[in-house]
Amino acid sequence: MATYLSTALDATLSPAHGDIIIWHYRQLAFTPHDLIGTLQPQVSGAFFVSWVHMMRRIELGLLYSRSGDYSLISEACRSGSLGAVALVNADPDIDLTFVPVERDPGGDVDLYAPLCDEILRQTSARHVIGCVTSWSRKEVIPTLEASGGTLWYAVPYEGFEASDHVVYTHACPNQHLLPLLEWALPTYGRRAFLTGSNYIWGWEMNRLARGALTGAGGQVLGERYLPIGSVDIDRIIEEIEATEPDFVLNSLIGRSSYQFLRAYHDLGKRDRRFLPQTRPVLSCNMTECELPAIGSAADGLIAAGPYFQGGGTDWHGPGTFGSSHEAAAFTAVWELARLLAHRPGSEVLSLSNLMRTDAAKGSRIDHQTHHTALPTLIARANAGRFEVIQAHEAIAGDPYLTHPRPARDIRAALRVVS
Amino acid sequence: MRRGVRIQNLGGALAVLLHRPHPTVQALTRQLEAIGLNVAIAWPELPPTSLAADFVFFDADMGHSAQFPWPEGEPPVPLIALIGSEAPGRIEWSLLAGAHAQLLKPVGDSGAYSALLIARAAFDAQHAMQAKIEDLQNRVNARMTVVKAVMRLAARGKSEAEAYAQLRHMAMAWRISFEEAAERIVGPDASDERDAQ
Repeated sequence: MATYLSTALDATLSPAHGDIIIWHYRQLAFTPHDLIGTLQPQVSGAFFVSWVHMMRRIELGLLYSRSGDYSLISEACRSGSLGAVALVNADPDIDLTFVPVERDPGGDVDLYAPLCDEILRQTSARHVIGCVTSWSRKEVIPTLEASGGTLWYAVPYEGFEASDHVVYTHACPNQHLLPLLEWALPTYGRRAFLTGSNYIWGWEMNRLARGALTGAGGQVLGERYLPIGSVDIDRIIEEIEATEPDFVLNSLIGRSSYQFLRAYHDLGKRDRRFLPQTRPVLSCNMTECELPAIGSAADGLIAAGPYFQGGGTDWHGPGTFGSSHEAAAFTAVWELARLLAHRPGSEVLSLSNLMRTDAAKGSRIDHQTHHTALPTLIARANAGRFEVIQAHEAIAGDPYLTHPRPARDIRAALRVVS
Repeated sequence: MRRGVRIQNLGGALAVLLHRPHPTVQALTRQLEAIGLNVAIAWPELPPTSLAADFVFFDADMGHSAQFPWPEGEPPVPLIALIGSEAPGRIEWSLLAGAHAQLLKPVGDSGAYSALLIARAAFDAQHAMQAKIEDLQNRVNARMTVVKAVMRLAARGKSEAEAYAQLRHMAMAWRISFEEAAERIVGPDASDERDAQ
């Protein structure tokens, strides 16, 4: 409390705070008299007025589809965002309150740009936390450019983007796919089958995997795509049965992925050659938030991600999370609050200008790429949880894969083995 | 012909931007640095170091041929036009300058990455094609030498077909091209006749 009071009083005396525009006073969890009682009488009046004035009310866009094919991921991200909003709003050391402004595209990719535009034009929000698919993210970028807004994107993606209007708080391929393959090839073998949903995530992940595999003397035995939402997976299962790959890299999303995992699990029960211990399914987008939809069919699935529940990682910021989706969305809001705190007016800055402020100096967000330094965990699903097999320290996101891969001592990397 | 796109070696590549100070330069620099390139900005002339660049971006609106330290239309690096005015005269000049790709101004949040990949693929294709044309040209030029070599071998009592086969064996044994083997047999005076063609 003492620290807070002195910060607040310093701010009170600073002329820069004199002309803050106030829209709303913060809801107080405790009475101001409790605070005032600790101050000298001649200070208390001025302090109280300034303290209330310091509570900046900042609208914050949320753009998640609460229905549709990938709503479980949306809900995890939304809950991470709102969790951080609640924590920020309750934190007396942060001179702002976020007021969420929500729009729900309902899983319709064509509604993302208009709804993002609505947030940026009809409200004072300049920052939007949202989007799950890369398709929807690419849809909103022109809108962000036109309005000078910023999207905080909290989902793993395929890289090859570094927008001046997007912060990427989840992993890109040098933080998920490449370490996963570096581990899987010596562990299971070099013959892979690639699946994916029929859009940029699946295409680009499989292109990168193909490059990594052929570069390592491996082989791609098949590469199959399904439209988003399709559950027509029989043909893929038959091809896997026929080609006997050492592992399957699964970049399907939503229902297609759940259906695929259930069918592959059934195949393993029918034919021991396809048990996950021998020929696992690998994923860079599966987290705890989708496990309930798959049930025991997910057991044995290997996933790479920056965070798993109870995974013992150096994930930044306070709290523990249900999944890395939740964690990355939480981090987005928490980091935004850190960048805006005690800088009245900074909420209207563009991302590039915000990244030039002093607050951005210690940020995990890279100033050039707006990607986040993240650890890589490789984990195996078991009974509704992920058990970490291997943990790598945080590295910077390298969206264009133009930087050398870190040379890793594989023994040192084997920090956690289950 | 199907070529894979080379993406791994953009890291640390040098891009020179030949453009007057302008927000486009700033936006393009941001994109290029985010991709992992080093950026040097030059105006109104390309410095000698630009010969060592991996990519050159140039202003198609205000540029002129004397700015390039190489023969017109023969850039030694992938060349990307920054086009503001889509006037036919400016586009024609960009083509004469040898542009391999273009990027429309004002440059915003994207476009640099695809321009880099397309320019380099076009540059590589152009050079591969050029090398192939030169090779074929050399072989066409050597026709007379080959005929003379076969005649000289045939004069030693072989049929034309046997002489031809012998020349092929010699080329294989010496590990040189058929035309080079013919030139060895005919002697240095053959080059004069080649020039005369």
